[in-house]
Amino acid sequence: MLAVKAEDLSKTYTGEAAPVRVFSNLSFELPAGEFAAVMGPSGVGKSTLLHLLGGIDRSDSGRVEILGRSLDQMTPKDRARFRNESIGFVFQFHHLLPEFTAAENVAFPDRIAGVGAREALQRAGTLLERVGLGDRRDHGARALSGGEQQRVAIARALARSPKLLLADEPTGNLDAASAASVFDLLRELHAEREMTTVLVTHNPDLANRCDKIFTMTREGIAAGKGLSERG
Amino acid sequence: MRFETFVALRYLAASRRRAHVALIATISVAGLAIGVAALVVSLALLSGFQDRIRRQMMERGAHLRVSPERGAALPDPEAARRALARAPGVQGIEASIEGRAWASDVDGTTTLPVRFRNWDEPAPPGAMDGARISTGVAARLHVAAGDLMRLSSTRTRLSPIGPVPISVVLPVLQSRRAGMLDKSAEVEVSVDTARTLSGVGSGALALEARLADPRTAESAARIVRAALPPGYRVETWRDRNAPLAFALRLEKVVIFVTVALVVVVAALNVVSNIALTVVDKKRDLGVFTSMGAAPSSLQRVYLTLGAAIGLIGTTAGLVLGIGLSIAADRFELVPLPSDVYLMTHVPFAVHPGEVAAVAVFAFATALLAAVLPARAAARLAPGEAIRLSR
Repeated sequence: MLAVKAEDLSKTYTGEAAPVRVFSNLSFELPAGEFAAVMGPSGVGKSTLLHLLGGIDRSDSGRVEILGRSLDQMTPKDRARFRNESIGFVFQFHHLLPEFTAAENVAFPDRIAGVGAREALQRAGTLLERVGLGDRRDHGARALSGGEQQRVAIARALARSPKLLLADEPTGNLDAASAASVFDLLRELHAEREMTTVLVTHNPDLANRCDKIFTMTREGIAAGKGLSERG
Repeated sequence: MRFETFVALRYLAASRRRAHVALIATISVAGLAIGVAALVVSLALLSGFQDRIRRQMMERGAHLRVSPERGAALPDPEAARRALARAPGVQGIEASIEGRAWASDVDGTTTLPVRFRNWDEPAPPGAMDGARISTGVAARLHVAAGDLMRLSSTRTRLSPIGPVPISVVLPVLQSRRAGMLDKSAEVEVSVDTARTLSGVGSGALALEARLADPRTAESAARIVRAALPPGYRVETWRDRNAPLAFALRLEKVVIFVTVALVVVVAALNVVSNIALTVVDKKRDLGVFTSMGAAPSSLQRVYLTLGAAIGLIGTTAGLVLGIGLSIAADRFELVPLPSDVYLMTHVPFAVHPGEVAAVAVFAFATALLAAVLPARAAARLAPGEAIRLSR
């Protein structure tokens, strides 16, 4: 079963300056349970691809199916609920909310889903234990190191036990040791939770430890590691 | 606590750590509080005066009046008296005899037109006949208590030398300060004198009754109306003062609308505050979206923020306004020249209904002010918000 199926995606950013075409007619498929890396030069649209797959941005044309459900045919409200239940995001700059503690940050997806504060915080505490930060649950996001912040962000992404994890350069802002540690954690969690993971990275060593590698260029996306993929 | 409330309150609490947001938030709350306080104090001031006027209406005048629909005198005064007596709480029924006359000193040096009527309560037996006049009339005639004055009716009687005005000379019993409502009867005389001057030998122009509780006048009037045949007009003290009551209500509405503009201006600060928070927290909006928050949920975060600002500003304004009004009334903080205003200080009266109206208006305005930036937050492209916040 395909966890991710994207067909003929095109995206152009229109701003005050001239429109910037990111990619056109890009297609991408990933079977469920895979841990895939997406590589490519900066500006080629890797983050944009993740945003389209996660439904937080809309393509100009094309279709996106996640876990067998078409994002394009969902209402914004349904798409939000689907994202909450089925997709987890990890960003390069962790994007923890500084006004809240580590546990409160991790509890957000549950709170959004309507889980009560006490239960959500309890679950957040368990997740923080799992990523090795049980003793930092009441610390503000700013009081954590870069590696710790990213671990909290991973815990937050997993709060709703998503089937698809989209990680946008989660190690890009970390030193080598922290990067390796965060990557190891992602791999462990991927296996434990039987997720499908798409990881954008510039680090070839980490990419080589993934089940698949996709390389994005201006011309499209190509699969590596002996796997056939439409480009 | 819902997710939206939790986030909004934390944003509000954390805003004090960011100088620019804290400044705008403080201005928003303070502006709203000042507007609400101004509204409460203005309305309390008007209510204070209006309560005095209403009290005078109830204390000085009759509460029920039965008069003929046509003609000068009641067709059947006894029937009218019986009907009035049937109403619950009636304490006394008096005939009303009134008219116009010329008042002058005994030498006729100064003359001025006045309205006269009989005084409400019957004169004690053996009491001296006389006139109670307003201080205005006393001043213009240069008379004081004990002096004589002349009242000449606009009616005439036939004499051997032809028609002559009906005229009486009376001692001034009392010159009393006219209340705010005493615009008609500048001279009060005994029933007999009033009959002489008006030519109403028997019966009455109208019958007036006072009630134990003036607030029951409407229901009492219904009973009296039902007991009377056609041809009678039954009025309550409220009916008779309807134009004044309308003017007072209008005055209150105009003041409310005018002072409410302060709240509206304060609401513009709420718009700025929330718009600034939306821009400041643009990245958070994207992150919340990535976690599955629906656009409507994001909108609610900022509406809650507006509601929180509205609640704090309104509460502070109510406390300030009510406190000021009570203190100003209790400690007579605004003195008045009593010879001009018939009261020693500006009265303030806080009415719960008006306070509730101010609270609802201010809170709703703040909430309304949050709608525009909240909608903008809901329309924000989350992908772009995350992409640009790197």
